[in-house]
Amino acid sequence: MSVTEGRLSRADLLKVGGAGALALSLGARPALGALSRSEATTLNMLTWSDHYANDQLAAVAKATGLRGRPTLFSDNADAYLKIKQTGSQFDVVSADGLWVPKYVKDGLTEPFDLSELPASKQLYSIARQFPFWKSGSNYMAYPFSWSTVQIYYNPKYVKTKPTSWHAILDKKYAGKISLENIPTDMMAIAGRATGAKNPYAMTTAEISRAKEYLKGLKPNVLKLASQNNEVVRALADESAWIGITNLGTDDRVKDAGGPTVKAAYPKEGTVGFIDSESIVKASKHKDVWEKFINTMEQAPWIAKNFLTNGRPLFNERAYKLLVNQGHGDRARRLLYNKPQLALKMTIKGPAGDQQAYTDAFNEVFGA
Amino acid sequence: MDQDLTTSSAAPPVDLPAGRRTSRVAGLGQYAGFIPALILYGVFFLVPLGLIVAYSFWTVVDYNVVHDWTLDNYHYFFSVPTYVRTMWATLWVSFAATAITLLIAFPFAYWLVRYVRRSLQGFFLILVVLPFWTSYLLRVYSWINILGEKGAINRFLLWTGVIDKPASFFLYDRPAVILVLVYLYFPFAALTLYASLERFDWNQFKAAMDLGAPPRTAITRIMIPQMKAGIVTAVIFVFIPILGEYLAPQLVGGARGVMIGNLIVNFFSGAQYTRGAAAALLIAVLIVILLVIFRKSLDVKDPYRA
Repeated sequence: MSVTEGRLSRADLLKVGGAGALALSLGARPALGALSRSEATTLNMLTWSDHYANDQLAAVAKATGLRGRPTLFSDNADAYLKIKQTGSQFDVVSADGLWVPKYVKDGLTEPFDLSELPASKQLYSIARQFPFWKSGSNYMAYPFSWSTVQIYYNPKYVKTKPTSWHAILDKKYAGKISLENIPTDMMAIAGRATGAKNPYAMTTAEISRAKEYLKGLKPNVLKLASQNNEVVRALADESAWIGITNLGTDDRVKDAGGPTVKAAYPKEGTVGFIDSESIVKASKHKDVWEKFINTMEQAPWIAKNFLTNGRPLFNERAYKLLVNQGHGDRARRLLYNKPQLALKMTIKGPAGDQQAYTDAFNEVFGA
Repeated sequence: MDQDLTTSSAAPPVDLPAGRRTSRVAGLGQYAGFIPALILYGVFFLVPLGLIVAYSFWTVVDYNVVHDWTLDNYHYFFSVPTYVRTMWATLWVSFAATAITLLIAFPFAYWLVRYVRRSLQGFFLILVVLPFWTSYLLRVYSWINILGEKGAINRFLLWTGVIDKPASFFLYDRPAVILVLVYLYFPFAALTLYASLERFDWNQFKAAMDLGAPPRTAITRIMIPQMKAGIVTAVIFVFIPILGEYLAPQLVGGARGVMIGNLIVNFFSGAQYTRGAAAALLIAVLIVILLVIFRKSLDVKDPYRA
């Protein structure tokens, strides 16, 4: 899930970046002996823009000789099809929650022994035990970050905290809600709003009820944003009073010069992502995958990632670093220290009947 | 020469006389330069087009394209009123944007050709194409800064006291889409009309006015009929790309400015390739029909033909 803006002062960047470089140089020292063997090896990553930083890739390449070359994608379905169609063209793929088992089931990625990656010891223990990513004694993916999708509202215009998905159907919000144009997830949210048992595997009747909910919401929708930063912009310039978006939006709106916006968690529950990095089964560089991920996932880089992108990650040591550097309040406000909450939301995954989901969404949001 | 070759005893025993064969080889040779274009056109246009046609008659089951031939995608498209309405809305927006673009581009081209010194015309033409030096995305994004609630227009109106709070109707609706499309496609129309007007024989225009025609009549009865090919070309350059527009309505259209391209993108991002292919093909068919109609307008009589 792409979250591209965040609050980060120059001093913070220097501080965390310096710590990152130091830790990397120390942590990667044993790997330097192998540098000549793996020099010039490029690992093609199919990922989101918030899963890496260019200086991180450069430092990892310098330390390990493994050059990460990212290709971005927008939606899980898009990435899934790219991996399916391109075979060995990619080495690393990022995926959300229940997409990960689908990749494995369809023979596109393969599980590995998580404990063999020293960096995995920096993770919260809960992140090493997600039941839906277990495959015998192996794990299907390396846990990265998570976020709920909730309601952010501008208290200047929205006087009553919207504690239900139905609260935002009120006509007084006509043309004042901005949300991301992700049909499957919006259908899942509509499913939660209308009491669907499994929002990513709704029955025909549940899809029909979700569609009716979206029909009711449509007059209030200002825009279906192609990127998260468009939602932030709409909240910042106050053209939108409400945004349906990821954790950390309040900070990003502030950074964009906008007003104070507050988060509200609907009582019906919400959806969210737990994302990860996996090994592409057809990759020609599986032998160096673990070394690459191990170096990429070191706590200083993850702490820096948090400061840039503002949503919780699963690296516990990075949280402690953030606390030590005086960012504890922000980390706690964005639930970094509560990874167990990630399991309370409906985790993103492939739709049971993708065609029915896309059809229903298009039928609502067409002209 | 032909005679010599055909009567030569060394001529190979083939069905065709050698002279005719040589001239046929020479005839084929003149098409050699066409081969790279043929390969490019075949590999990068005809083959993908063939795939789109095939996909539009297939289905997707659990993210896999199943090669069962069916008309379901087309049936679905025409049986759901939303798509038909969105198609009409797309046509309407394309028509309005094209008409406005031409209405602005024509006086500009007229002024440039008729009243601006030839040495300065190039400068103004550079100004017309100047926006192309920046990316398409950036140009569309800049309109959000102009039309938004904290944008330039609202700030100006607030400063002048015309409004006392920001107006929200400039952005995220069809008029915003049309405005941005006019801005994006104005250079295509202006350059085409300029090229057409530049070759116009102004003596005819003056003669018409000398004979008592008011300027409006001279324009409509003398100038425009002779610019028909230029106008039709401008319409083709503007109307057809707008039909497939996706980004401008996505960024400035909001939930009320959706065009058919936006729904097609949703199909593809949701891995519904076959639905998306059918919808895309319907637009392609519409474009072909329009091109056939426009082609008739472009027919120019050969003055040397008897």
